[in-house]
Amino acid sequence: MSNPWPLMVYVTFALGGLAIYFLMPRTDRSTRGAGAIFGVAALAAAMVLCASRFLGTEGGNVFFYLSAVVAVASAVKVITHEKPVYSALYFVLTVLAIAPLLIIQHAEFLAVALVIIYAGAILVTYVFVIMLAQQGGASIYDRRARQPFVAVFGGFFTMALIAGQMTVLPEEHVVQGTLASASAERATELGNTAMIGGVMMTDYLVAFEIAGVLLLVAMVGAIAMSRKRVPTEVVRASAKPPGQIGREVQPF
Amino acid sequence: MVDVVGVMDILKDQFWFSAGLAAALIGVIMTVVAYCIYFERKISAWIQDRVGPNRVGPLGLLQPLADGAKFIFKEDSIPANVDKPLFLIAPTVAFILGMIGFVVLPWGGSVDLDGDGVVDVVAQVADPGIGLLYLLGVGSLGVYGVVLGGWASNNKYAVFAAMRSTAQMLSYEIPMGLCIFIVVVCVGSLRLEDIVLSQVGEGHVWNIVLHPVAFFILLVTIFAETNRTPFDLAEAEQELVGGYHTEYGALKFGMFFLGEYAHMITGSAFITVLFLGGWHLPWVPGLQPEDVSVGAMFMKMGVMGLKIVAFLFLFMWVRWTLPRFRFDQLMRLSWKGLLPMCMILAGYAVYLVYVGLDRDVYWALGGNIVLVLSVLVFNVLHRPLVSGRQANMPAIGGRQPA
Repeated sequence: MSNPWPLMVYVTFALGGLAIYFLMPRTDRSTRGAGAIFGVAALAAAMVLCASRFLGTEGGNVFFYLSAVVAVASAVKVITHEKPVYSALYFVLTVLAIAPLLIIQHAEFLAVALVIIYAGAILVTYVFVIMLAQQGGASIYDRRARQPFVAVFGGFFTMALIAGQMTVLPEEHVVQGTLASASAERATELGNTAMIGGVMMTDYLVAFEIAGVLLLVAMVGAIAMSRKRVPTEVVRASAKPPGQIGREVQPF
Repeated sequence: MVDVVGVMDILKDQFWFSAGLAAALIGVIMTVVAYCIYFERKISAWIQDRVGPNRVGPLGLLQPLADGAKFIFKEDSIPANVDKPLFLIAPTVAFILGMIGFVVLPWGGSVDLDGDGVVDVVAQVADPGIGLLYLLGVGSLGVYGVVLGGWASNNKYAVFAAMRSTAQMLSYEIPMGLCIFIVVVCVGSLRLEDIVLSQVGEGHVWNIVLHPVAFFILLVTIFAETNRTPFDLAEAEQELVGGYHTEYGALKFGMFFLGEYAHMITGSAFITVLFLGGWHLPWVPGLQPEDVSVGAMFMKMGVMGLKIVAFLFLFMWVRWTLPRFRFDQLMRLSWKGLLPMCMILAGYAVYLVYVGLDRDVYWALGGNIVLVLSVLVFNVLHRPLVSGRQANMPAIGGRQPA
């Protein structure tokens, strides 16, 4: 085998899959120790893989590694934690750790939009619904993973195939140096937000408008479905004017 | 003896200037936050015709130190059956999210440190192209401190407070975002320094003159976002024992407290930059963008600080003057009042930008006056009911509700 990269990628993902499988919550016996060992091994393998390929280029940024480790570790916690509230909060942490990765790629607008929309709006409602629903402590389906092997195998097999395929792409398809720095130059010249706005309003105008209409329809539908018709007549009959309340009560 | 020239040379690098500014800001903001609590008590005493704190030091000026010492030395109890990790994280989250908004605020414009006519640094810790969105993002994360604190306490009243707070913050973020949108559309940039510069100089006016209604709505939403009266339903002590921080004591309660005041300062600075010209005062030499000397920088910082202090006074004044909203009134105000008005204003602002009249005072102001008058006429003709429940009740004294 002339190209060693795909094999290294497959080994890394196999270690990661084993780690997730052993970290999954289960009721019979805890395999967290084995999961932690495989997890550290997978992270180390990923580090070696990235460092040997990207050290010295823009991918070798130290902030990239810090944010990536936090993002991956908290993403693992999202699916392996037993308490749903903590899972949702680790998801917030994942989003907050992915934002710096986008900033490194000069996508400031996307980074902040991600934080505002996901961490600031969507996950607040998630966290809240889970908090209200889980007042009685974790239930059996939270303490035991269902079909962990199939889920882990399917997910990691797909990821390994995609990542391994990326390493055998011809050199000119790999975004390295020239393309990244060219777009970064244009972004600093024009402004990141202006660039995104320009693309949205010219190249992808129809898709953008359709997405907007779709969201509007979804919102109207949600309101229409959740509205409950209040029987006003019943309420009117049972209510008493404030001045009369208590007048009909007989004294002892 | 410190080598002044060497220090100046180091400060000419934006990185070290930002580091120094950040260190100075932390000290100043912490002091201001501590004294905010003192002035809150003094102003409430003044409004209620009392004396206020006057025992510690002259005029009670050392009261914040005494309060801080008390917070630190009190017994730091953690109730049984709380969710301990989240219970400990929540005050920290509230405090940190209150503090990190300061890094993108423009305090003093461009500065020429050595007087050679070349601008060396920007008096701002960080100047990202998306400064405005950064502030919005930090503000939208602010709800986590309240929600985590309320839920981790394992207390029904604290959960009620967290629930109220979430609904309130999510509702008021929408009119807030639309007000910001109006400014961004007119200025054409998300950089806070650009927003300040668009309001200064020949032929430019502060955004409050162009969009007074948007300014007022943004002020209302900032009151709601900082959980201040009349929107302080998350800490309504008459209904909820104490609010989301019922179970907190000692320094953890203190951190919630400091976080709230830091949030107020960020909100004041935010509205100052967006609508009141930031560090700028018209017709005053030294406060114009062309003046980049070190003295001008300190003057600009002083003006910015004074505007923030004026807003802080307004926050406290309103707190001790107005009663609290009921929850349905709060929701009605946001969804049926502020949101439609903001959407009309935003559409009008986009139209003005399209026809190129966005910096024309008369057109912008005229639209605002027409909007306010039509809202008043609409409300007189369709008098909104006081609440949903009362609409179904026969009115007192036989008068039917409109």
